[in-house]
Parts: sequence; C-alpha cells; structure tokens
Amino acid sequence: MNPLDKPFAQLALVLVTVLALPLFLKSGILATEILIFAMVVAACNLLLGYTGLLSFGQGIFFGIGTYVAGIFLTRWSVPVPLVLAGAAILGAATATLVGWLSIRRQGVYFVMLTLAFSQLFYFMAYTFSGVTGGDNGLLGVPRPAIGGNALDGPWSYYTYVAVCFVVIFALLVMVTQSTFGRTLLAIRENEGRAAAIGFPTKLFKIEAFAISGAVTALGGALHAMLIGVAPLSNIEYHTSELILIMTIIGGSSSLFGSVLGAGFYLLLADALSTIWPRWLLLLGLVLVAVALFLQGGLWGLVVRGYDLIFRRDRAPNTSAEEH
Amino acid sequence: MTDIALQTRGLGVKYGNFHALSEVDLQIRRNSVHSIIGPNGAGKTTLFHALTGRVRPSSGRIELDGRDITDTSDDDRVRLGIARSFQVTSLFPNLTLRENLRLAAQGRTPWQALAPWRRAEANAEALDIADGVIDRLALGKVTGRLAGELSHGQQRRLEVGMAMAARPRVILLDEPTSGMGIDDIEVMKDLIRDLGHDHTVLFIEHNMSIVMNISDVVTVMRLGRKLVEGPPAQVRDDPEVQRAYLGNMITGDIA
Repeated sequence: MNPLDKPFAQLALVLVTVLALPLFLKSGILATEILIFAMVVAACNLLLGYTGLLSFGQGIFFGIGTYVAGIFLTRWSVPVPLVLAGAAILGAATATLVGWLSIRRQGVYFVMLTLAFSQLFYFMAYTFSGVTGGDNGLLGVPRPAIGGNALDGPWSYYTYVAVCFVVIFALLVMVTQSTFGRTLLAIRENEGRAAAIGFPTKLFKIEAFAISGAVTALGGALHAMLIGVAPLSNIEYHTSELILIMTIIGGSSSLFGSVLGAGFYLLLADALSTIWPRWLLLLGLVLVAVALFLQGGLWGLVVRGYDLIFRRDRAPNTSAEEH
Repeated sequence: MTDIALQTRGLGVKYGNFHALSEVDLQIRRNSVHSIIGPNGAGKTTLFHALTGRVRPSSGRIELDGRDITDTSDDDRVRLGIARSFQVTSLFPNLTLRENLRLAAQGRTPWQALAPWRRAEANAEALDIADGVIDRLALGKVTGRLAGELSHGQQRRLEVGMAMAARPRVILLDEPTSGMGIDDIEVMKDLIRDLGHDHTVLFIEHNMSIVMNISDVVTVMRLGRKLVEGPPAQVRDDPEVQRAYLGNMITGDIA
C-alpha cells in the first residue's frame, strides 16, 4: 500500500487542505463550496470506489438535506445542530429505501433504478411546491449562529463547515478502515464469493447506502445555509451527475481523491466560466482526457508522482521473491 | 447426533425445463471422505450448488445433522457449518492472501462486520484462524501477496483454504486439482486426506488416482442421477460405471 493511502496521511492531507484554502482563495464562498462537495463526493466514493456501486441517486439525498434545512430553519427556527442531525437521519432513511430497492438488480439495471429514483424525487419536489417552494425553492435560509452572532461573513461560515468536514471525513476514514469497510472491498472484488463465505452482501450494500445518504444530506443542508436558498436544482438529476463526475475525476481508490476531485472541478469551473460562457464544453474535454488517460483519476496521478520521487527503487521488484 | 452429517432425499433441480438433477439420495457419513465422479454434465456442480444454497432445489430435501436446511439461505448455511471451494478459482484478486482468509474466517460471524467502527484487527480469532490455515497450506512465504498474483497451484490451495477458514463441519471441494501440475496434485491429495480426519469432506474430482486412493465412498453420477455408489474398489469394477465412462477414463490404480 502506498503510504499516502494510510489513514493518518489522509487525515493530514485534509487538515492541510482546510488550512491552505483560505490562503490561496479570495472567495470564502468558493472555499466553503469546495469543502461541502468534498464531503459529498467522499460519500459517493464509499459507494463507487469501495462497494462498486455507480449510484445516480446522490442528488436525491443532497436535495433532501437541502430541504430539511430550508423547511426547519425558515418555518420553525429549529437549532442548526438538530437540523443537521435531522438531515443526516432522513438522508440515511431515504438512502436505505432507495438502496434496498435498487440493489435487487445489478449492473446496468441497478444504475437505471437509481436514475429512475432520481427523477421520481425531483418531480415529487417539483409537484409538492407547498412544502418545497417548487421552482422558486425556499428563500431566506439563515446561517447558523455561534454565541448569538450569525456566521454571516464568508470565512466565519467557512470555519463552521471546515470543522464539520474534518469530523465527517475522519468518520468516513474510520468506516473504510473498519472490518465493515474491508468487507465492502471484498463485495466489490467478488460478490459471489463474499456471499459464499457467509456475508449477507445485500445488508452490507444497504448500510453503505445509508452512510453515504446521511453524509450527502448533511452536505446538502450545509449548502442551503451557504447560499441562503434551498433551490430545486439541488435535487435535480444534474446534481447526481455532478457528484459522480467529481468522484471519477478525483479517483475512486482513496477518500482524499474525492477532495481533489471536488476542488479541481469547482476551481476549474470558476476559472473557465470567467473566460468563456461556453465553459462546460471545455470541461467535457477534461472529462474525456481523464477517462482516456487518467483512469486512477487525480489521486492516481498523485500516487504515481509520489512513487516516482520517493520510491523509485522499490517500485519494480515487488514480485521477485519466491514463486 | 446421527452418524450421517449431510443427506439428501429425492433432490431435484430444474433449469427451465431441463432436469439437471433428479431424485438424488445421498448420505454422507461424518468425518468420511466422499467423492463424486461422473462425466461432464452429470450434475455434480449443480448438486454442490443445491447443497450450499446457491440454487434452489425444485424437489426433495436436504438435511444437515438431521436438520432440514432445504430453505435455508446460502450465507445461513455457512454459519450452520457448510463451506465450499469452487471449480473455477473465485478469490478476491486485489486483496492479500491473508486478507482473503481473514474475510473467510470473519464470514462465520458476519454481523460483527456490520459495525463500521470495529477494527478488523480487533477480531483476533479470525486472524488466528487465517494464520492457522496459512500454515496448513504451507503458504507462509506469500501471505502479503495479492491473491491475483499467486501461481495457479497457490491459488487452488487458497481456494480450498477459503472453505477451511470457515471452520465447517462439512467441506465441499469442487475439482480441487483442476489445472494443477503433478507436484501440486500430490500436495492437494495429502491435504484432502488430512482434512478428512477432522471434517466431513465431499469432493468432485476427475483425477481417478486421487479418487480411488483417498475416498471412503465414491458416488458415480450420470445425466443428473446417481448411477452407482460404494467403496472405491467396488465402483471401479462395476460394469455400469465402465460403460458410463466408455471404459477409458478410470485409469488410476489403487496404490
């Protein structure tokens, strides 16, 4: 295993990222958005990289978290920690339902099912506009307050999100290192054998969905507080697609790859959109390049670079002893 | 406790309209080595699939230690004490040899593994079992190697080890020597014989020298049915068996 993949290396990289973003970025909003998406993309990675499930349903959970924040903060002024907990619980519950139904099929049909659920939830949000605000979304979502002061400055809210992000990331690292996470890897590698040696594989996949859904919904709630709106677009199919694209660009073999993927996408989008209104076209080219030449994603590139510099002597002869 | 570890009564499996297995009555004695032979398409692997719960029988029943397990799911059967190896090697290729065995040992208590905060190393018992199997298979030099990078003979041994790590009472081995070189086959033969001392072993095999040398009972199958059953010497000389094999496949001599 590459030393960069070790849990403490991953946590150190995350801490460096959280401390470095304010030094290099002018916009606190952009920096906060990067952390929120990094969290959500890492949760998607738990499904894609660790369990081998390509879920187009991540937008559902993100949208649900958004609406939980929108509804409970604008109508009843529920304390923010409770709202975040509520978002995570509802996200987990929805993911359990979607996961439970989707994993009954495999491969293409599994993907189609998550896609269908994604559309279903979008139209539900669109239809029940009394609850969700429909096309307009829910306006005036307030920021959390610490000691009576609302975190209205971009960098004060960044700090709030950064703390949440580091805690969640550490929890996700713990999950991937646990005996549960290692069983997920076995299921990804060879589901038939995992079942043959006694693991109820469906239950493991559903639990992976639940954890992923909880974190994604938490990210959605933080996002609504960031932009002050709970928009319909957060539950759209496009959000699912965005999360998946970031996951793939970042590389699905390590959780920190997801942080790279989210950061790279959002920074590139920010830079390109000021140059050219048709920037999505350029982004398409970037995706093509990743799919063709960079299958380990950005993380794969980092690991290769690390090996080249620090482990030049060790790389080639890993399989030379004993036959 | 009866003397019979595993038995089937009138077991049948249908794939669509095709009867892959019909009316199979088997009785596997405890701590015996019982082999299943027969030409290709005789239903041997289907029988294994039915015994382990991978396919559902269309008729008949299966009993483990007198307990009806016909409707028990495959992962539940592992906990009751049935484990198998596969004819086509089926490992976790990108995980290390030791991790493969640790998972197989953990599979006996899978509920523990649902806790996302429990460290894998906290289950010292599973690690001990994995190391015990590694010793028994003489694979100590390659424990950290990825399973997909092992030689064919090592992979076949690990395949059997995966079944052993579940600490089963009944162990089912599907062509454990398939594709092996002569040296590896001898090692596997000793291993199966050795397993028979503390397990009930049921195995499918084409290599007659192994079958005739280490089996207590041989069952011959043909076209989804049981043709003949008995001790090796009796089965080898049976005229029906000779005909089923066209006389040329049973070549191994009893040493």
